[in-house]
Amino acid sequence: MSEFVMVVIGGLAFGAIYALAAIGIVVIHKATKTVNFAHGGFVLFGAFAAYLVVVKLQWTYWAAYVIVPLLIGGIATVIELTILRPLRKADLFTVITATIFIGIGLSEIYRLSYNTEILAMPNPIPGRPFLIGDVILTREQIWVVAGAMISCLIGVLVFSHASMGRSMRAMASNVRGATLCGYSVNRVYALAWFVGGALAGLAGVFAGPSKGVSPELAVSMITAGFVAAVIGGFDSLRGALLGGLLLGLAETFAAAYVSSAMKNAVSFLLLFVVLLWRPEGLFSEGKGRDV
Amino acid sequence: MQDKRKHGCGWFKGRRTFLGAALAAATVFAAPGLHAQQGVTSGEIVIGALGPLTGPFAFIGAPGRDSIALAIEKINEAGGLNGRKLRLIFEHANTPAESVAAAKKLVEENKVFTLILASGSTGAAAAADYVRAAKIPTYNIYGATPIIRTPFAKNIFHSAIPGAEASGKSMIDEVFRAVPNAKKVGVLAGTYAFPQSHLKTIREQMAARAGVELVVEQFDAAARDFTAQLLSMARQKVEAVMILGSFTEAGFAIKQAPEKGLPATTTWVLDGSGVNDGIVAIVGGENTKYLHGYYNVPYFPTQVNDAPMAGFRKLWIGKYGNPPEGRPNLYDMVGYGSMYVLGQAIKNAGPNLTWDSLIASWEKLSDAKPSSMGGVDVIFPETFSATDHQGGRRLGSAAIVDGKWKVVR
Amino acid sequence: MSERVSERGVAMRRVIMPSVTVLLLTLAGTTLSNYWQYVFTISIGAMVSGAALIMLVGYARCITIASGAMMAIGAYASAIVVLRFGFSFPWALLVGTLFGALAGYVLAVPAVRFRSHNLAMVTLVFQAVTIILLREAKTLTGGAEGLNIPPPVLFGTVITSDLGNLLLAGVAAAAVILPITVLLYGPFGKNLRALAANEVGARAYGISPRDYLIAAFVVSSAAIAFAGALSAPRFRIIDPDSYGVLAAIFMLAYPIIGGMNSIWGGLLGGGVLRILPEVLRPLADYLELIFCALVVITVMYFPGGLVELVGKASRRLRGKGAAAGDESLPDSVEAAAAAAVATVNAGGVREAMMRAMPAARNTTTDVADAPALRIDGMSKSYGALQAVKNVSIEVATGRLHGLMGPNGAGKTTLFNMATGFTPADSGTVWSFGRDIGSVPVEQRLGLGIARTFQHVAIFPSLSCFDNTLIGLGRNGVGASMRRSLDAAHAGGSVAEERDAVMAALDAVGLKALAQQPAGSLSLGNQRRLEIARAIVSRPRIILLDEPVSGVGADEAGRLRELLLAINRELGVTMLVIEHNIGFLLSLCERLTVMSYGEIIAEGAPDEVVATQHVRSAYFGDKAAV
Repeated sequence: MSEFVMVVIGGLAFGAIYALAAIGIVVIHKATKTVNFAHGGFVLFGAFAAYLVVVKLQWTYWAAYVIVPLLIGGIATVIELTILRPLRKADLFTVITATIFIGIGLSEIYRLSYNTEILAMPNPIPGRPFLIGDVILTREQIWVVAGAMISCLIGVLVFSHASMGRSMRAMASNVRGATLCGYSVNRVYALAWFVGGALAGLAGVFAGPSKGVSPELAVSMITAGFVAAVIGGFDSLRGALLGGLLLGLAETFAAAYVSSAMKNAVSFLLLFVVLLWRPEGLFSEGKGRDV
Repeated sequence: MQDKRKHGCGWFKGRRTFLGAALAAATVFAAPGLHAQQGVTSGEIVIGALGPLTGPFAFIGAPGRDSIALAIEKINEAGGLNGRKLRLIFEHANTPAESVAAAKKLVEENKVFTLILASGSTGAAAAADYVRAAKIPTYNIYGATPIIRTPFAKNIFHSAIPGAEASGKSMIDEVFRAVPNAKKVGVLAGTYAFPQSHLKTIREQMAARAGVELVVEQFDAAARDFTAQLLSMARQKVEAVMILGSFTEAGFAIKQAPEKGLPATTTWVLDGSGVNDGIVAIVGGENTKYLHGYYNVPYFPTQVNDAPMAGFRKLWIGKYGNPPEGRPNLYDMVGYGSMYVLGQAIKNAGPNLTWDSLIASWEKLSDAKPSSMGGVDVIFPETFSATDHQGGRRLGSAAIVDGKWKVVR
Repeated sequence: MSERVSERGVAMRRVIMPSVTVLLLTLAGTTLSNYWQYVFTISIGAMVSGAALIMLVGYARCITIASGAMMAIGAYASAIVVLRFGFSFPWALLVGTLFGALAGYVLAVPAVRFRSHNLAMVTLVFQAVTIILLREAKTLTGGAEGLNIPPPVLFGTVITSDLGNLLLAGVAAAAVILPITVLLYGPFGKNLRALAANEVGARAYGISPRDYLIAAFVVSSAAIAFAGALSAPRFRIIDPDSYGVLAAIFMLAYPIIGGMNSIWGGLLGGGVLRILPEVLRPLADYLELIFCALVVITVMYFPGGLVELVGKASRRLRGKGAAAGDESLPDSVEAAAAAAVATVNAGGVREAMMRAMPAARNTTTDVADAPALRIDGMSKSYGALQAVKNVSIEVATGRLHGLMGPNGAGKTTLFNMATGFTPADSGTVWSFGRDIGSVPVEQRLGLGIARTFQHVAIFPSLSCFDNTLIGLGRNGVGASMRRSLDAAHAGGSVAEERDAVMAALDAVGLKALAQQPAGSLSLGNQRRLEIARAIVSRPRIILLDEPVSGVGADEAGRLRELLLAINRELGVTMLVIEHNIGFLLSLCERLTVMSYGEIIAEGAPDEVVATQHVRSAYFGDKAAV
């Protein structure tokens, strides 16, 4: 039984990070209808920036949690302004392929600037783990689950209520209408990318200690983030959150009770099943209309 | 329509024989134009090397390039070999396809005299066929794979990284040195080439030990979550675990182990690629007493209190400046040392330098080490014979002392 | 006759050019050193992949991240049959290709119900799972260590030399590129592009998205698998990681950098990008970053890819001025087309169309005297909004029937239900006495039902000729493949089809613009093009949705004349939705008026327009008479 609980906790810890990545993807998509395949690269940069802040500059982790999201949000906005804005005139296909290659480019830039196999980061919350019966709970796990969940909830609330969230939702439903109401497309898109990038950066700060900073992080986070977003229904923030948790649990369970090789396969198979059976996602809000 | 088909058949038959003949002719006449004395002039010897400079195995190839270049610089500074200076051409090669391309380019376009394979097992395996056919003297300095070792080839030599069998034995010895009466031993193996070849030989060797049960769990390359595997081992109460994988993978496994129920006193035995200071940072410094490993060279790169290691670091920093995290590493040391061994073989072959004379001289090397040519002894001495081309067999035993790895035996 | 022969020569030359180019490159390669022959061999394999990806990524606009897996399947399948069963190389190639086709089918069947990023993700799933399976099936595939591939055996000879391998690769690649070219140049390729450009318009004219996308996946996967099987022996060792996600993504760059719209883009992109790592060896560290930068720069500044760059350069060299196919058409040409009197050369058009469509439509299920279209009690609600309420309309054969109503009246919804695009909540549709409610959209053209769209649903990147050609029908996958084969040697029904298309274009006054891309036309001409496409198949009834919306008064008048002529000379029944009351009054014999989803009036146009109910619906209560 205790083993089961530990599997669950392990799953939730990773799931919370996936949720954070997924929410960033969904925010960008909700506002701009663009699926950001470069999101994993943002997470990697976030983890790397966290490393620089905590290990190189020797500042506290709190500094990282504040500075890194702002930094990565800024980078994301720059990419939107310089590359994606001109491309938006072309079709969706072009934008998607551009983000795919931007993502790989970001990984490469990281690798070139810091060519080590992996960068390890210290534990954000050192200290003895808690022992509840037979169940071992490290402080780091608790922090990751709590911290990531709180960030997710903040993101959801902001989007639902604050005025910038409203403008993004308006833009997403009807660009022309929203423009007529006074919302500026450029400003809204830039803001969406900023928020999405910031969330990715935050995911990176959480992921750094648990997974280490290496180019693999980009690939694993992008696939996990996507799968989580799809499971949740691509336009639902709540769904992305739940989808991330579900994915983390599913992966860990599959690895624990089926086989470790299936761990990777599980996330993909889950994606597949959801797309076939309920393409609008398991937790989605509205129904989509194509025509 | 009809006559086209009839006409077509006969046309094809005639072409078929012609095609067959043409291809046969092409095969015969287009053998690579290699020369047994290529790459050697009165003043210069060209050394070719290939290895991954990017990708997941860059931590092998880049140090290979840097260290071989360092050794060559020092050898040239000391006067070269029999009046000839060495020149290095290093080509990047990550996948098997790239390895074959790089080997061909070096041997056929650049016409190098000797080839050094500074790539991991997959690259070495891919180039194996080619170098066997080309018959160029080849120094495989990092590849543990059996594909480049069998069948035996007169022109292929191996350096400080022995075949999987020897290193596997070394790990098993470590396990039983630490836990003499172990009854349940775990193996955590990556699913990629290098760990898999070790897994095979470890399974065989452990099967020969009566009364000991082996628990095998596997993980994907670059895995970061070992919940499943660790839980399984905890369930079966293993006393010691051998980890076949890089230090990043091993590090996270060891770090997560206490969370998953493995006792803090579990013994961890790592293979050569796990013995890396980076692992101390990942694991967190608390459990290091129980980490053991083997090491292919007599010192750990951070053992700066030992003179040879300090000397090597000084040389390295002198050429490359402040080292990035984790450098110089094992592969820097092996590359540097191997180049000296090769240098010695070349020197002993005398002024009349051909492939045959090099091979003959190489096979006579006994206890070859860098210091005989003014270098620093950062590898175990290498010995070759006409039937045994594995230069280094000796493996050091490594443990963590005061937060850093040390080779203790 | 001689015209026919030279036409055939032109068509065949065009189709074999890519293969011949590959053979010439191979011959050029034989003069190089062994190392470069090796490089060329690998590059030729990449050209095949590039060509395959043009079909899937360039034409069908499907983002696929599964190419690595397809190459792996081809490589492993061929390697396994050689290693275990001692197959010779040609058979191994065939086996690899067949497994690739099978894999393409397995991927496509679930995948093609998605578009854009969802489709990309499904292909990513396939890619990842395939590699994992290859790595896990150790006994079959050697697991992570991979398989050691022996050199190819051909007609009993072992090919070990670089020259032999180069020749082998060149010939095999040229052979495979030929059918790809045939498909891309012919109706199959055009239909794929139409589908990607405007799915709705494509479906209305018989192009089934599901069938075509599956076919595109199957053919391209087979070709990519072929490339994998071809290059495997050169790699000596194949391991799952060589064919991973990164490899798949970089293959995506072949059509993007090469140029998405022609097979030359695939050849150029694949060939150049595969050689680049060898040429840029000193920059090996930065290679992947350079690739990414190249792709981003290409999509931003050179969307036409290398093909367009080469084209521009060669035109400049030859001293030609403005590039052909420019966006802006010389105004005079367009104006002339606009002013052309839209006379339907009755005899000519009818003859041409009858030649092209000699087979009589299946009229056995026709009921005598049944109306051309009968809509019975149709309803549709979207949640609480009832868009169409129990509407019944009868359109007599040969009639010009109008359908009018303010915005939101439910006219287009009704149309969509009648043509099968939207499922009805209730009600039935009959055409010539036959219940067509359950007939899929793609098959309606075969029943003699054509339509035009409110938002012009033409295919902008195709020429006017090709747009109209699609209107002829025969657009099932198998049929279009057969027609592509015919087109390759200008045989079969190609000539008849061409005559019918030109007749239809002539009828609407666009004959001079036949080779212009449809996207460069003015709106008025685009509407004419839609009409040409609608009439070329000799339909029995056409449903026109706002055919003069957005068009000037003069042009509207000319279109009116055109429609009247078509109805008169070809006997085509028409049901026309319009806002333009004057237009409807002068065109139609019968008029139905809808408001808020219901029919509020029906009858002769003058009478209907005069009724109070209609006037208040349109003009407000206090309408002056």
